[in-house]
Amino acid sequence: MPLEPFKASRSLTMGVELELQLVNPADFDLTASAPDLLHLLSLRKFPGDVKPEMTESMIEVLTDVHTRHDELLAQLRDIRAVMVSAGDRLNISICGGGTHPFQHWVEQHIFSGPRFEQLSQLYGYLAKQFTVFGQHVHIGCASADEALYLLHALNRYVPHFIALSASSPFLQGVDTLFDSSRLNSVFAFPLSGRAPFLLDWSEFEHGYFAKMENTGVVKSMKDFYWDIRPKPEFGTIELRVCDTPLTIERAAALAAYLQALCRMLLERRMPPPAEDDYLVYNYNRFQACRFGFEGVIVHPQTNENLSLREDLLTTLRQLEPHAEALHGLPALAELHRAVAYEGNHAGLLRRQFADEGGVEGMVDAAVRLFRDGVPS
Amino acid sequence: MSESLSMMAATMAWPLAIAVAWLAGEFGYRWLSLPRISSYGIAGFFMAASQGGFLAVPSGSTIPLLADFAFSLMLFELGFRINLRWLRADPWLGVTSVAEAGTTFAAVFVLAQWFGVPMIPSLLLAALAMSTSPAAVVRVVNELKSSGQVTERLLHLSAFNCVLAVVVFKMVTGYWILSSAGSLFHAAWNSLMVVAVSAGIGVLFGVAVPMLLRVCGAVGGNATVAFAIAVLLLTALTLGFSFSPLLAALVFGLVARHRRVIFSQAQNNFGALGDLLTVLLFVFVAASVEWKQVVDGAALALAVLGVRLAAKTLSTTLFARLSGITWRKGMLTGLAMTPMSVLVILLLEHSRHIDLGNFEQVAGIAAIVIILEVAGPVLTRLALMWAGEARR
Repeated sequence: MPLEPFKASRSLTMGVELELQLVNPADFDLTASAPDLLHLLSLRKFPGDVKPEMTESMIEVLTDVHTRHDELLAQLRDIRAVMVSAGDRLNISICGGGTHPFQHWVEQHIFSGPRFEQLSQLYGYLAKQFTVFGQHVHIGCASADEALYLLHALNRYVPHFIALSASSPFLQGVDTLFDSSRLNSVFAFPLSGRAPFLLDWSEFEHGYFAKMENTGVVKSMKDFYWDIRPKPEFGTIELRVCDTPLTIERAAALAAYLQALCRMLLERRMPPPAEDDYLVYNYNRFQACRFGFEGVIVHPQTNENLSLREDLLTTLRQLEPHAEALHGLPALAELHRAVAYEGNHAGLLRRQFADEGGVEGMVDAAVRLFRDGVPS
Repeated sequence: MSESLSMMAATMAWPLAIAVAWLAGEFGYRWLSLPRISSYGIAGFFMAASQGGFLAVPSGSTIPLLADFAFSLMLFELGFRINLRWLRADPWLGVTSVAEAGTTFAAVFVLAQWFGVPMIPSLLLAALAMSTSPAAVVRVVNELKSSGQVTERLLHLSAFNCVLAVVVFKMVTGYWILSSAGSLFHAAWNSLMVVAVSAGIGVLFGVAVPMLLRVCGAVGGNATVAFAIAVLLLTALTLGFSFSPLLAALVFGLVARHRRVIFSQAQNNFGALGDLLTVLLFVFVAASVEWKQVVDGAALALAVLGVRLAAKTLSTTLFARLSGITWRKGMLTGLAMTPMSVLVILLLEHSRHIDLGNFEQVAGIAAIVIILEVAGPVLTRLALMWAGEARR
C-alpha cells in the first residue's frame, strides 16, 4: 500500500491522545478491564473518542481538533469526568503516568483483535513489555513539506518534552533512576528513534517510504515508532516522546507548549534543521530521560553544554508572545511552575514512594491526581 | 508393636492424604484442566473412612482448626479485595446482591417445604444456599489470574452473600434454640451477639495489625507472615469463644484494606503456606461427607442446586444492564457463583455445640457439598473463561 497523500490541515491546530492505566483499587495493580470499560462507555456519547490499546489494562482517549489551550483543556476535563464516573461504576481506578511502577509484564492480557495479535506474535515479550503509557500530540500542518520541516526543526526541543512530561521513574517494582524509563521500552523496537532527515515530501514518499515498503519491513506509517512522525491521513505531525502526565492539566499544557513552539519555528527565523543536528540527538534524549530537568544537553548547532532547566526557562520566555497570540499563556505558567519550583511528575512520584513507603502508594497518588487534577 | 504401628498409621494419615490430594490436583489440572481444588475434593472424599478409606473422622483433632485457619486466610484475602465505596458508585450492585440472595433464600425454602423438609431445616438450608463459598471463588480467580467485571462482581457478591448467609443462619439457629429450650437469652446471644462480636473482633484486628506493622516498619514483604499470624490468632480466638471466624476474618481483611496497608500481588493466597492449607481444607471438607448420605439426599440436592443456580443467574442477569455490564457478563456472574461447599461444612462444624437435630440428613447437605465441591469450581472456571477474563 503506497503512502497516502498528505491531507493538508489548518496550521497550528492541535489534538491530544492519552494512554491511560486501568488499575484495580484493591491492590493497585493493573487490571485487564478495557473491554468492560469500553462497553460501558459505548452506551452514551463520549466527549472525544476512546479506543483499546495493545493490552487490556490500557485505554486510549483522544480529543477533537482544537486551536486554543482552554478549549482543549475543557474537553480533556469532560473526558476525565466521563472516564472517572465510568470507572467508579465498574470499580476500576484510572490514572496517568508513563509506566505502572510494579506491574509484571508477563501478567498482561493482549487485547483481542487481528492487529494486536499480529503485533504480539511479531514482537513476543516486547509487545507485553510495551504496557507503557504515552501522550501523543498532533499539530496540524498546512502542507506536507511544512510537516517535514517542523518534524526536523523540533529535534532540538525533544528533550524538553521528555523532561516536562516524565512520569515513569519506576519499572517492574524498582527505581530505574530514570525520570522517563518508558522511552527505554519504546527504544527496544526496531523501527523506533528518529525519522530520516528528508525535508521534501515527494523524496520522503518515493525515496524512503516506497523503498522501505519494498523491503517488506513496513506496510504503513503505523509501523514506524519514531519520536515524531508525520500522519498523512490527518495532515499532522505527531510528537510521541511524552509520558502520559499524572494530570490532564499538564497534558493540555504540553500540547499548548508544542503549539507555541511550532508557531515560533514557522517564522523561520532560526537556522534551518540539518542532518548534523542529530549527532547529539540520542545523547540529549538520554540526558532528559535519565535526569529530567537536571540533565545537561548539547546544543546541536553551537555545541555548547546547556542545563536543560536553563534551556527550558529561556525557551518559555521566548515563547511568551507566541503563546499570547494563541491564548496559551496559562499553559506556559503551569510549565514554568514545574520547571522553576515543583519539578516534574517523576519527582512527585518519588516523593510519594518515600512518604508512603511503597510502590502501591505511588499508584494511589497517581489515581488521586488524575481524578482531582492539580492540587494547587 | 501393633499398637505403635496403628499410632504410626494415624499420624501418617493426614500427611499422606494431603500428598495424594495434591498429586491428584496436579494431574487433574494438567490432563483434564480441572481446577485443582475439585481434585482435592474428589481425593478427600474417596480417602475418607466412611468410604472405606484410611482418613478417620477428624472432628476433635487439630485438623478442623487448620481447615478453619485456611478458610480464614481466604476470607481475609477476599475482604481485602472488597471496595465498599463501589456500592455507592453503583447502587445496582447492592440491589443485585440483595435480589440474588433473597430470591435464592425464598426459592430454596419453598422447594424444601415442598419436599416435606420440616420448618427449621428448611430455613437453615435456604440460609446456606444463599452463600457462595469464597474458598472456591478466591482459589479459581487466583489460579486463572482473571480480571474484569465478572471477576470483580463475583468476589463482591460472594462476600456479601456470605455475610447474609452467616447472619441468617445464626438467626435461625437462635430461633431454634429459643423454640426448643425456651431460653430467650441464649437465642439472642447466638444471633445478634455472635454476629456483632465477630465483626468487632475483625475491626479490632483490622485497626491494630496495620498500626503495629507501621510501627515496626514491616510494610511490604514481611506483611504476609504478619497477616497470616494475625489470622491464625483471630481464628483460634473466635473459635474458642464460639464466635464466627468467618465474619471476623472477612471484616479483618475489609478493615485492613481501608486502613491502606498494602497487601501486594506477590502475596496472593498467602503463598506456599496458603497453597498447602488449601489442600488440607478441601480434603477435610470432602472427607466429612458420607456416601450413604449423599445417595439419600441426592434428589433434594439436585433440585436445590437447580433452583439456586436459576435464582442467582436470573438476578445477576436482570440487573446486568442497569449495572453497566452486558447481559452475558451478568449471566456468567450468576453461573460463577455456584460453589458453596466449604462455607457450609465449616459453618455446620461451628454449630456442633448446638443440637440441630437431624438437619444434615433431612436437608441433603452431603449431596450438595460433594456435588459442588467438584462442580462448583469447574463452573466458576468456565464462567471466567467464557467471559474472556482469564489470562491468555
